[in-house]
Amino acid sequence: MLGFIIKRSLLLIPVFFAASIVAFLLIHLVPGDPVDSLLTVGSPPEQRQILTERYGLDKPLVVQYGIWIWGVLQGDLGTAIIMRRPVADLMADALPHSIALGASAFIFYTVIGVSLGVTAAIFRDRWPDRAIMTGVLFGSTLPSFWLGLLLMLVFSVWLGWLPVSGARGASSLVLPVLTIGLGGTALVARITRVAMVETQRKDFVMLLHAKGMHPLRIQLLRVLHHALIPVVTILALRIGFVLGGAITVEVVFARPGIGTLLIRGIMQHDYPVVQACLLMLSTAVILGTFLGDVLQALMDPRARASLT
Amino acid sequence: MTKHHRHLWAGLGLGALLSFSAPVMADELVAALKGAEVGVSTYDMLKAINSNVASTLIYDPLIEQNANHGYVPALAESWEEAPDGLQWTFHLKKGVKFHNGVDFNAQAVADWLAMFKGTDFEYYLGAVKEIVVVDDYTIRLDMTRPDPNLLYNLSTPFGGVMEPGARKADGENYGLTAAVGTGPYKLESFAVGQETVLVRNDDYTWGAANATNTGPANIERIRLREIGEASTSFLELQTGGVDMLLGVPQEFLSEAAKLPNVKLMTMPDQEIWYLVMNVTAAPFDDIRVRQAAALAVNRQAIKDNLYGGAGNTPSTFMISSLPEEKVADQFRIKFDLDKAKALLDEAGWVAGADGIRAKDGQPLKITLWTQSDSNFRRVTEVIQAQLKDAGFAADILTFDSATIRDQYKAGTHQAAVRSYFYDSATILDWFFGGDRLGYPNISMFNDPKAEELRKVAMTGSKTGEEFTKNFIAYHEYILSQFPFAPIYEPVGNIAFNADRVIMPETINSPVFQRAAIMDLKLAN
Repeated sequence: MLGFIIKRSLLLIPVFFAASIVAFLLIHLVPGDPVDSLLTVGSPPEQRQILTERYGLDKPLVVQYGIWIWGVLQGDLGTAIIMRRPVADLMADALPHSIALGASAFIFYTVIGVSLGVTAAIFRDRWPDRAIMTGVLFGSTLPSFWLGLLLMLVFSVWLGWLPVSGARGASSLVLPVLTIGLGGTALVARITRVAMVETQRKDFVMLLHAKGMHPLRIQLLRVLHHALIPVVTILALRIGFVLGGAITVEVVFARPGIGTLLIRGIMQHDYPVVQACLLMLSTAVILGTFLGDVLQALMDPRARASLT
Repeated sequence: MTKHHRHLWAGLGLGALLSFSAPVMADELVAALKGAEVGVSTYDMLKAINSNVASTLIYDPLIEQNANHGYVPALAESWEEAPDGLQWTFHLKKGVKFHNGVDFNAQAVADWLAMFKGTDFEYYLGAVKEIVVVDDYTIRLDMTRPDPNLLYNLSTPFGGVMEPGARKADGENYGLTAAVGTGPYKLESFAVGQETVLVRNDDYTWGAANATNTGPANIERIRLREIGEASTSFLELQTGGVDMLLGVPQEFLSEAAKLPNVKLMTMPDQEIWYLVMNVTAAPFDDIRVRQAAALAVNRQAIKDNLYGGAGNTPSTFMISSLPEEKVADQFRIKFDLDKAKALLDEAGWVAGADGIRAKDGQPLKITLWTQSDSNFRRVTEVIQAQLKDAGFAADILTFDSATIRDQYKAGTHQAAVRSYFYDSATILDWFFGGDRLGYPNISMFNDPKAEELRKVAMTGSKTGEEFTKNFIAYHEYILSQFPFAPIYEPVGNIAFNADRVIMPETINSPVFQRAAIMDLKLAN
């Protein structure tokens, strides 16, 4: 198992560099120039050149990438051109908010999604299954922007239970978590149900029934154990999206976070901010995938053999 | 556990959850910043790219503008300009202290001005040769040339005087964890992208005369929230989460008016919407076609139909409150569809059966560039329809705001719908200067006579009167060449909870900032 983890870890290095190149090129190749945002009315015409040189934007792209990635490897993400602060500080401010929101939503849709999926599978083709799957289909099709506003209207305006927006206190987290969580719940519930239903058809399940084991014990102890393997893999992959999967929700609920930071960076062409955010989000996805592989290998020896 | 116990625990849990919500304080004003002011990343005014109302509450400038864009004393109780425009002397108020207790005097101003060097804002003092401390409360700026922007620059939020020692001591954290000025409010906390909390400076007695209250301020604490999404800020006002919206988008005005206890007020704004035409690209390389397009824009219809009658119908390039906007009547651009058609006839563009004109077999077809947000789209579609009435066939091409600036630099555009925020006549130099072609000079207007008038206005204006006179001449000439057509001058909409906020009867500042807040009160 250790050899497997080491091999997989080494593979992460080229993937990380490939992601860094993509993150760097994405913002540099789209039209737009951060200097345009820095120039204000009254600045002399030569100010453009002064600022371009000051921020190293006159250098060839390869050189700019080299300077940036060398800094990143040394722990220096650079200084935001427009936001005027070290990017690491900006991310340190934003990250706790994104983690709080993303992790809460993750826990919410994991617990609720798995529970609903299991219930649907146990009551397969009966009314609880149909009701859950209809609800799940509905939940997965609601745009988060619209759902967020709807939840605000119900819980903040009509009922007055929760604050409309902001990031002050635990109560301000409830509606954003619900907004993200309902979409995630739909995915997890469907995957859990499919995996459960497939496992229910396995021979060993028939054998357990033949041996007279209680059907509920079979479902919750044996079937769920096997069915969780693909669910855990999918959930591990989603860890990467915990940080960056809430961009719309952050905007609607006026919450700070990595998503909001990234959007501001893109709008202003603040290269160091966009590069760092994209690199961090892609690194999170890479690590999530790695974690998914490791968990899958731990849970299923057959998978370990095929992955090595 | 009994059912009763379970309910008790559930109740306690919900109570604990809700108790994490921030309390609303009776002596605290909670306001949502307007969209254009969201996103300030620092209150270090030598680093900040944008500013918000908090900047004007933390820092006092040397001089301020009143509602008519006249200059009134702030930290400088008076000032003189040498007749040749090469020397400015500022006499400072006495008894003023920074928030950290340091005395405000001429040396502090000199040290603050010296900090501009090496920053991106160094050009603010580009014409200053030497900063001379004449005595404790008099400072003189010796100039290399007259600078028409100097007073304006000193009166903006970026001209707020920072305490030099605090800025130096706090280093990178200055503007984030501390910001020290002489203003009516002290910075208590700043959560970037979320909110700024200010507490009253109880020692403040030196406020500028454009507010009735010269200090201390009436309200003890101010919480300025950053809510980028307009729907969300509207719901916050509705639920009492905020007491005021410092900007209300047009589409929410009618809904806001229906809310009980909510009142709406308008303020002059600093924005002009306009149609810019590339004078080097056909068909707008013909001045008659440009004039025809300019005369085809029905500003009153736009104001009435798109903006419910709110705002102004501009006939020049500047906001209506600027003295340099007062050009002779013959230069004002006014809607006249008949004349527009006659001009196109004269230029050889003949109307076809479908109303679209053609010349030498080529239809009068143009591409109208615009930005992707809904307000731009809406205005551009109306302009498209109004141009069609004159015989233009306009296609709309949409870009995001950053991309469109890059596209302008290529110079391939024909016309675009744009807007700008600025409240000084030097905006003409920015958008029509011959050495700024592409962006920001999108019209590609590079005319020898205009350049001559521009030079006189920018470097030959020794006094305020000369500045106005020279810029009017420059403005009139640009108007006569029709590189643009004015479209709309918006007003700023403010909504407030009348049960909480008592608004002053008059606000004597160009926008809602320090002077307005000094006179604002909270209801008991």
